[in-house]
Amino acid sequence: MKFFNLLRKELKELINAQMIASLAMIVVIFMVFGNVMSSTISEAVKSESSVTLSDCDDTEFTRSLLKKLEENNVTVRKIDTSADGDDYVSILRKNDLKSIIIIPRGFTEALDSGEKPELITATEMKSAALVDSISDTSSGGIDKIKDILSDEIAKRSGITDEELENIDSPLTLTENTVISGKSAKISTDAIIGRVMMLNEILPVIIFVLIVMTSQSLMGAISNEKIDKTLETLLSAPVSRVSILTAKMLAATIAAILNAVVTMVAFSAFMAKAAIDISKDAPDALNNAAVNAQNMIPDDVSGNLSGMLTAQGAMRELGLSLTPADYLLVGIEMFVTIMICLCISLILGALVTDAKQSQTILLPLMMGVMVPYFISIFADVNSLPPVVRGLVYAIPFTHTFSAIPNLMFGHTGLFIGGLIYQVIFLAACMYFALKIFNSDKILTMSLNFGKKKKKKGAPAEE
Amino acid sequence: MENVLEVKGLSKKYSKVLAVDNVSFEIGKGEIFALIGPNGAGKTTTIRMISTLLTPTSGDATVAGASITQAPQKVRENITYLPDEAGAYKNMTGLAYLKFMGGLFSTDPREIDRYIERAKEINQLGDRLKDKISTYSRGMARKLLLSRAVMTRPQLAILDEPTSGLDVLNAIEIRKTIKKLSHEEGMSFLLSSHNMLEIEYVSDRVGIIAKGHLMVTGRIDELKERYNAPNLEEVFERVVKENEIL
Ligand SMILES: Nc1ncnc2c1ncn2[C@@H]1O[C@H](COP(=O)(O)OP(=O)(O)OP(=O)(O)O)[C@@H](O)[C@H]1O
Ligand SMILES: [Mg+2]
Repeated sequence: MKFFNLLRKELKELINAQMIASLAMIVVIFMVFGNVMSSTISEAVKSESSVTLSDCDDTEFTRSLLKKLEENNVTVRKIDTSADGDDYVSILRKNDLKSIIIIPRGFTEALDSGEKPELITATEMKSAALVDSISDTSSGGIDKIKDILSDEIAKRSGITDEELENIDSPLTLTENTVISGKSAKISTDAIIGRVMMLNEILPVIIFVLIVMTSQSLMGAISNEKIDKTLETLLSAPVSRVSILTAKMLAATIAAILNAVVTMVAFSAFMAKAAIDISKDAPDALNNAAVNAQNMIPDDVSGNLSGMLTAQGAMRELGLSLTPADYLLVGIEMFVTIMICLCISLILGALVTDAKQSQTILLPLMMGVMVPYFISIFADVNSLPPVVRGLVYAIPFTHTFSAIPNLMFGHTGLFIGGLIYQVIFLAACMYFALKIFNSDKILTMSLNFGKKKKKKGAPAEE
Repeated sequence: MENVLEVKGLSKKYSKVLAVDNVSFEIGKGEIFALIGPNGAGKTTTIRMISTLLTPTSGDATVAGASITQAPQKVRENITYLPDEAGAYKNMTGLAYLKFMGGLFSTDPREIDRYIERAKEINQLGDRLKDKISTYSRGMARKLLLSRAVMTRPQLAILDEPTSGLDVLNAIEIRKTIKKLSHEEGMSFLLSSHNMLEIEYVSDRVGIIAKGHLMVTGRIDELKERYNAPNLEEVFERVVKENEIL
């Protein structure tokens, strides 16, 4: 009962106009950020055009096709994969490639007999990071091949370009994606579309959760310290533990509320951004964007009869999460929130005036920003070792990489990260409790060694 | 007279500073006792230890028989504490604040209502209680806080510099309230101040503290006589000088 009295008060303090304002701020920041992001994507796709290609058909026509590609400013690196058949995992591994385009045997024959020739691609995905996926440069090459083929077909059948465009895609594209040693007939675009949810929206939720929880609790403690209401509270007949618990619980509730609102706003924005991009970006991105929005296969792969359903392919690649995985992610999130609460409690206890409370969260914010941006733009595991070590030392990195790690089969990394976080949490909790259960909650300050200057004139004078 | 507070050899050492050194005194029922001393004398530190906010380095104190080191929870049931320069939750209305604080002392809604009624009588804020505390003047806020501190009828109300920062009229009002509660209801008070004149008016007994040492305790007229001084200020001056020579 006394506890609910405390909890009610904490909730009322936290959920106010100020919180709503900062929530709006966050939504705005992410919208601006989302726009920046979409323009980087289009640039990455436009500028890069170099492909590794294996010509298994090796006819006069395919050779002239390659020459035309080069004339169109596509750098073509030729290798021979005819010995490996359709073992794309080993083709990519042997040649140390990220992606390859294969012109299979019978390509020219099909074209000659008026059928749609088949073009095969294989791409390895190491993570769901945006840059990792879009730096796949073969899509530019494929577009060029499509153009050249269209011209060729037009030339042969005597129909105009416009008519041709209305007919259909000139070729059948069989896309393969390789993930941790497994391969499946699905385009990376389709996978990106599928994991976009997790890759883009989840970090936002985590980010908001961490920031808001920390801010709320830190504010709740430091304001009470500054106004000395904390002393009044601590001298009232309620236990310190219940005061602390009420604050932590209220901060968590407020944080979850924030996360939900932000998630809804952000996913709505993502859907809108996807439409905007599709208006003027190149094909590949167009497809990815549409996929992201509707989860439908793109026009090229849609024609494939042998194509697996996206769901099936994802499972084949080991990309779906099992209930055990979700449980692990839940534990991971819980540990993360607890770490935040403990850190902000310690920081809040350090604050002695209002000015400090503005800046004291900066280190924590940095600790969240760094892994957040990395999780969106790059794959932590591909960073140089020293940087990687530093990034891994930030406990929140492991929260951002939890789901990708589980999806892409880096279970060891996930477990390692979780263990590290639990140890980190234990240390934080130890300090937080020590502070709150001792004089330190009142006597601690940032002015190390500096004696407090007292107001008023001493009576001896 | 039975003692509400008994302080026995209380000391507190911060990392380097020995802020309070072996302080002992007691407060009887219905008595107003004031700790007086210059800035940094150790008044707030002593008060915080008695309020169970800080753990003493050595020594002990009992409030209504309960030890601050052994049974701090029991002590907190019998005291209220008003920190110096204390604020209240700015976004709450005065009424909500009283209700919230009342809820920490009782779980019975009728009891809490009685607290609020009593607080209203004491602070005389009337309809302003429905306004947010952020709109209160300093004097109004202090009256609200004082009424909060006494509404639960604690055995001992601990007020750290209850009138600092207030104008004369507001200060007088606060003093009158304290005196009235002590004389009419037998409430005990532990105050601190460095305003000797105010203390001379309000308190029954004083303890003079400087540099962590409690030098003298006694009734005000008694001390004036002993040090042959016309007022408390001069008593204080002489006590401090005497102790510097020693
Ligand atoms: N948190 C702290 N850490 C270290 N030293 C402290 C701390 N708080 C107070 N002190 C020191 O302890 C001594 C006593 O301080 P205290 O606040 O008890 O004095 P006071 O009598 O209340 O003074 P004032 O009249 O200015 O309120 C001072 O020397 C002060 O600098
Ligand atoms: Mg003081």
